[in-house]
Order: sequence, then structure tokens, then C-alpha cells
Amino acid sequence: MSMKAGQIDKGTALLVKGQPYVVVEREFVNPGKGSAFVRIKMKSPTTGQTLSDTIKTQDTVEDISVEDRDCQYLYQDGELFHFQNTTTFEEVTCPMTTFPDYQYLMKEGDTYRCTFWEDELLDIQIPSKVVYTVAEAEEAVRGDTVTGTTKNAVTDTGLKVRVPIFIKAGEKIRVNTETKEYLERVND
Amino acid sequence: MRTEMIKRRSQLLRAMRNFFDAKGYLEVDTPSLSPDLIPEPTIQNFETTFSNEFVGSRNLYLIPSPEVFMKRLIADGSGSIYQFCHCFRNDEQIGENHNPEFTMLEYYTVGFDEQDSIPLTEELVATSSPKDADQAVLPPFRRITMKEAMWEYAHVDLDACQKQSALAEECRKHGLMAPTSPESWEETFNRLFLTLVEPNLPQDKPLVLDRYPAQIDCLAKRDGAYRKRWEMYMKGVEIANCYDEERDVETVRAYYEKEYARLVAERAKSGQAIPDVDPAFADIFAHFPQTSGVAMGIDRLLMVQSGAHQLGDLILFPFSAMLSSGKKTN
Repeated sequence: MSMKAGQIDKGTALLVKGQPYVVVEREFVNPGKGSAFVRIKMKSPTTGQTLSDTIKTQDTVEDISVEDRDCQYLYQDGELFHFQNTTTFEEVTCPMTTFPDYQYLMKEGDTYRCTFWEDELLDIQIPSKVVYTVAEAEEAVRGDTVTGTTKNAVTDTGLKVRVPIFIKAGEKIRVNTETKEYLERVND
Repeated sequence: MRTEMIKRRSQLLRAMRNFFDAKGYLEVDTPSLSPDLIPEPTIQNFETTFSNEFVGSRNLYLIPSPEVFMKRLIADGSGSIYQFCHCFRNDEQIGENHNPEFTMLEYYTVGFDEQDSIPLTEELVATSSPKDADQAVLPPFRRITMKEAMWEYAHVDLDACQKQSALAEECRKHGLMAPTSPESWEETFNRLFLTLVEPNLPQDKPLVLDRYPAQIDCLAKRDGAYRKRWEMYMKGVEIANCYDEERDVETVRAYYEKEYARLVAERAKSGQAIPDVDPAFADIFAHFPQTSGVAMGIDRLLMVQSGAHQLGDLILFPFSAMLSSGKKTN
């Protein structure tokens, strides 16, 4: 399939030299004198490699049709993430290096929307805000004004996050998964 | 936030007017509607119609820049002039750095060339910066030529790439996608510049990118393979564009004819507005003094000076809000 470069958006999957890439940044550029261009940054889901390019908006690019499927996250073995397609029950794997830090963001047993190109997993959609249980939290140091009002904590998934000093182990907190920043305490 | 922006805009305009008035420039006020424009194939225009039962009707265009009027005033002997005006560019992306209607400052200094306009612009920026402005928007400006920048960030020797095929080879070497339609030298250059150079230009101080390639045709004087033209960036955003103004009648006439032919050819396909041009415009250069002109985007300057990230925070009535309100036509 092909599309006009001007129609590229964030999340568009393109085929570049036979390899799938997902567009992560897109900006229209109209130099003072000259044609209109779209400037993009793309990421390869298989290697994690990023590519930058600038294309005339009227030129065509090859896009690929992708499909979202629900997959349950089973476990990771240090090299691969293992999922099960909840409809077909097929096992799906992908290299952990493609999705850095995802082992700290995903919870075993939870189901995620995954984007596929044929049988290749291109993207795992993590909700922007997720509730985690605090596994460890530093003791608040009395009178410590240098580090301000936050301290280190680790969630049950292993995610390191700065939290306010009143947060204790066992409590639940909501975290912004993009910035990996604490948002609020969640009371059951 | 909004009252703060009303104040900032007012203070900036006041400071700039004081600056030019003290230097003896005349403030001018030229029309927004024009029967003819300078042909610029890549800038889409807003077209409207004057109509009167007895006088008849005429197509008019909202100006994309006041250049067409200000140059006539200079030819008439106005001396150095400046103007704040609203400019209109149709079909622009509406986004962080674009609004179809925007405020432009244009200043023309008689007797100056484009190099003289650099310290003048530094002084203008210094006197009109807010007290809380950071170093990235304050003079002195960094200066780099396009030739140096292309070498530094893309390892492209522009002098050795005067042919489109040589530039296209550089694109291939850098792994850029192959174009799917024929490209001009300028388009291939832009793909390299926009991918490898512009995003990597230093942003710690304002940056003057000097001497654009001659192949990018415009009304700046030519100097060998380059043009006496610079652009000034702040925090990666284009803020100003400066020329040593072309004043050779035949060069201007040839530019007009070539660009108009290109404009008609391109717009015949797309059905977009084809503005009229004044065939006698080139004649004003028979008595045109040595002049350097600068166009500066005031909304963008306010944006970077105040640390905002999008024009919508600065423009008091942004276009995006107008698009989503009221009656729609299809």
C-alpha cells in the first residue's frame, strides 16, 4: 500500500527498505522558499533503531496495514517477552531490547493491546497512567531538607520511582508510564 | 496568563517602535489587500473580491508580506522604514510555529547590506527582550554560514554539490528514502538540510545562518554560488529572514517571469488562487537605493522570549479556535 507523505501521522507504520518502522515524531516543515515537507522520526520495533527523514508531502511512501490484538503478558526470560494472544491462544514473543523498561511497566497476567504487522509485534500499548503496588520505600529521613519532599521507592514490577515521603510499602500509587513519575496515592 | 501575554506583546511593540524612532526610521502603514503580489509559488494566498454594482469587481489578495508595498515606498525616496503588519498565508499547517494570520515586523535600512543588518538586529533584540529572558534569546548571535553548517552536521561539501545528482548521492549515503517524484536541486538540498542540519544547530544562543545557496531563488543579491541572505533562529525556531535587496531591474524582471510561470503551472493543477503580478514592478528598481531588509515573526519572537512552546499561547485569538467555532462551509 502507499500513501502521501503528508498523511503520515504519529503511529503510522511504514515499510522502509523492507523493514517495518513506526513513526514516533512528525512535523510539517515549510521552508521560507520551497516545497512543503514532512520531517519524521521512526523507530524499528525489531531492532529499536531510530531513523530520521524528511519527505516532500506530495511524495508517496509505503505504509503497511497493522492490526491490534489483545495479548496477555505471561513472563519474561531475560531475553524475550512472552505473551499469549487471548483470542487464538497462540504464544507471541518479542525481544526485550525493543521495548526498554517495559518489564518494569507491564504486570504479569495483564492483557495489553498489541499492534501487529502480519505476525510481527510492532507495538505494545501501555496505558498512560497505571496503578502499581509499592514493594519497597525508603524510610523518610527526619529533618532532611536537601532531597526535598520525595524519596526512592520500587514498585512490585521493579519500577523505580520518586515518591512523596508519606508513601509506605504496600500502598498503591498511580504512575505516569511515559515520564515514569509518581502522580498520586490510590486508596482502595 | 492571558493578561501577561497582552502586556508582553504591548511592551515588545513599544520597545521596538522606540528603537526605530530613535534611529530615525519612519513607521509606515501599507494595505493588507493588494491587487498584485510578488510571485512566490510556495506561499498559498487568501483571495477575496471587491464588488460594486456600478464600478464592477476585482480580485484582491491578503498580503503574505508587506514587501510589495514597502519596496515601492523606498523607490519613492522614503529612506529607512519599518512596519508592523498582519500577514496571511493560506494552507499553512496550523501548529506550534504556524498561524495563517500572523504579525510581521519588516524593516528596511537604506545604505545597509545584509551584514550591517546583523548588529542592528542584535541591538533590536537586546532592547526589546523582557527582563526574565534567558541567554538562548539574547545577543550576541552565533554566526555560521550554510556551507559551514552543511559540512559540520551533514559532512556535505556544498561547493562540490552544485549538481542535483551530487546532492542526491549524499541523500543516499545518509540513508534517506528515495524520492518518488523528480526533484529540483533546492528540494534535494532541503531534505538534507531539514533532516541532518537544522535539528542539530546549536540553540544556546540565537543563531544567524548566513549565505543561502544561490539555487534557492529569491530577491536577495547573488554572490557566486550563494546569496546575500541570512536567517536567524532562536531555540530552533526561524525568527527572521534578511536580504541584501536585489536592485537590478533585469534580474528582478527575470525572477518575476520565472517564478510567475512556475506559480501558474503548479496552481493550474491544484486549483489554488493565482494572484496577479504587476508587470511594471521591476521598473521601480531603476531608482532603488542600496538597502537591506529584514522580516521578523513577532508572534514567534514572543513565544521563544517567554518560554512558551506554541504560538497558541501567544496569539490572543489563535486561528485553531476560530476553525473549531461557528459555521463551517464545505
